[in-house]
Amino acid sequence: MASVSFHDIEKSFGSTKVIHGIGFDIKDGEFMVLVGPSGCGKSTLLRMLAGLEEISAGTIAIDSKVVNDVESKDRDIAMVFQSYALYPHMTVADNMAFSLKLRKADAKTIADRVARAAKILNLDPYLQRYPRELSGGQRQRVAMGRAIVRDPKVFLFDEPLSNLDAKLRVAMRAEIKALHQRLKTTTVYVTHDQVEAMTMADRIVVMHDGRIEQIGTPLDLYDRPDNLFVAQFIGSPAMNIVNGRLRRGGGGAFVEADSGLRWPLGSMAGADGQVVAYGIRPEHLSLAEGGVADAVPAQITVVEPTGAETELLVQAGDSQIVLVTHGRPQVKPGDKIGLRVDPAMVHVFDQATGQRLAA
Amino acid sequence: MKLKHVTAEAKLLLIGIPVLLWTMLPIYHLFLFSISPKESAFAGKLWPDHPTLHNFEVVFREQHYYLNHFWLQLWNSLLIAVSVGALTLLVATGAAFAISRLRVKGGRLVMNLALLTYFIPAAFLAVPMYKTMGNYGLLNNQWALILAMITIASPYSIWVLKQASDKLPYELDEAARIDGASPLQLFRLVYVPLMMPSLVAIGTYALLLAWNEYLYAFLLLSNEKQITLGVALGNFLAADDSPWELLMTVGLIYALPPAAIYYAFKRYMVGGLTAGAVKS
Ligand SMILES: Nc1ncnc2c1ncn2[C@@H]1O[C@H](COP(=O)(O)OP(=O)(O)OP(=O)(O)O)[C@@H](O)[C@H]1O
Ligand SMILES: [Mg+2]
Repeated sequence: MASVSFHDIEKSFGSTKVIHGIGFDIKDGEFMVLVGPSGCGKSTLLRMLAGLEEISAGTIAIDSKVVNDVESKDRDIAMVFQSYALYPHMTVADNMAFSLKLRKADAKTIADRVARAAKILNLDPYLQRYPRELSGGQRQRVAMGRAIVRDPKVFLFDEPLSNLDAKLRVAMRAEIKALHQRLKTTTVYVTHDQVEAMTMADRIVVMHDGRIEQIGTPLDLYDRPDNLFVAQFIGSPAMNIVNGRLRRGGGGAFVEADSGLRWPLGSMAGADGQVVAYGIRPEHLSLAEGGVADAVPAQITVVEPTGAETELLVQAGDSQIVLVTHGRPQVKPGDKIGLRVDPAMVHVFDQATGQRLAA
Repeated sequence: MKLKHVTAEAKLLLIGIPVLLWTMLPIYHLFLFSISPKESAFAGKLWPDHPTLHNFEVVFREQHYYLNHFWLQLWNSLLIAVSVGALTLLVATGAAFAISRLRVKGGRLVMNLALLTYFIPAAFLAVPMYKTMGNYGLLNNQWALILAMITIASPYSIWVLKQASDKLPYELDEAARIDGASPLQLFRLVYVPLMMPSLVAIGTYALLLAWNEYLYAFLLLSNEKQITLGVALGNFLAADDSPWELLMTVGLIYALPPAAIYYAFKRYMVGGLTAGAVKS
């Protein structure tokens, strides 16, 4: 049980700076997910917390104690690697017991802890097997078992599910979350998969090019992205973006796209004529049933039914727009349709800075 | 498909059988000499008229002037070979671990410099080595030969082991570090067990290199109680009427341990020595 805080962290490899001043706090027992595109520095940040990478500037504290100069083994953390990093020459039981043996725990404690971890993770039948005799999902669980026998202050995960197939990934996602709810150990979890981030996190840190774009709960990020990057990164399918100019006239506010189409607005933020990016999520668009006043004219290009939902790809002016509906609309490619926008769900960003316009 | 296999195998056999015969011929000769009585050793027959184990008896009982110290010399050979094998392993494993896993600064440079010594044939280094050992007062001491052989075996051993180490995922080391392992524990509990096949191969390589060494052994050791059996065999030729049948018998005996070792470890030899040579 512990809190973690990053303060003005910087990291350079030689002369290349990859982390540019990052600071945030993780509360005791929190499940914090670091998410961002490949190469944004998530692993580097995690590895600095683990003590596997030098900290170029700034401080990292665990439980208010600065650990910059504390060795990995004395930070009381446990890490699960993407490749699992199980010791190939040790059985599952020995893999889990390794850290306790190094710490000179007595035989009974070791046996108890390993048995408990094996029970939690359903590894009992495999204790005497070697890692090569296990499936990917079982190896993954052994890696977690190795972490939990230690009962550490913080769990670190670096893309632990990316080597699993899609179905198993969903199952393990739930398992890790259940494990966290049971053990309530502070967890830092790195992934580049925003769905993983959304489903598992208490709070998410969105990173980009070594900087933090936004920190917040999954739904915060989804409902009120601070900037264009977060808006487009979080959510699947991604938010539709239309570039245009803000107009407010007698007939209410709208964004006039570069192609001349008018996209309706709810909020009153921004100045007339401001160059903006207009964002609307696919599920906040619908097909207009004949002659709605401010429907946006468009033409269907692709229809993708998934059963429960239907994803439509449409062309509106010079923008490709995705919309998701629950029903099974009777439309086909080439049909001319009208798009109805839920104005309350529109996001407007300044095009130059990418920042959200205050509501 | 099947026929193609058969013809391919036939072709291989066509090459393989002559090669086998070619390499076996001297060994067969060796064997023939060792079971022939002295008089008929040069008879040139494919099988002696009266095969005998008498030669072995003479050798084992040290019943000839040249064989006075047979057992001692065999022991010397063994002692030196095993020492060289063990010490080379120690040196090379430590070096490979430091270069590949601990990533000691300048480690690669040192390794490459060591490999550079192979550009000079070992025979050219024999005299400088002789002088060096003289300077340290080690001449006629078996340590001289042991140290010299370690010097010769190490660069290659370090290189092979380093290549093999590089293939172990670095995350294993990091996991062990987080688990609380010191570098020494990492070495002992994770690195060595995982490197076992390569270690067996390299240990065997160094051991056989020392067992088979003649030039350095001949130069650095001269007292007949200290020389290896290989050198002793060379001394047979000093006489005008060399006892060929005994020479061959001892030769056969001398060739058996390497063959046995190679056979026992051949699984590791092939895998271990080529590990890192190609991307698997
Ligand atoms: N040892 C290193 N030496 C030099 N540059 C490095 C090193 N490790 C990482 N980098 C660089 O630092 C940046 C961040 O890397 P990092 O591994 O943290 O990315 P990531 O966010 O984890 O990406 P991914 O999702 O692909 O794992 C990258 O540009 C990478 O090239
Ligand atoms: Mg990474």
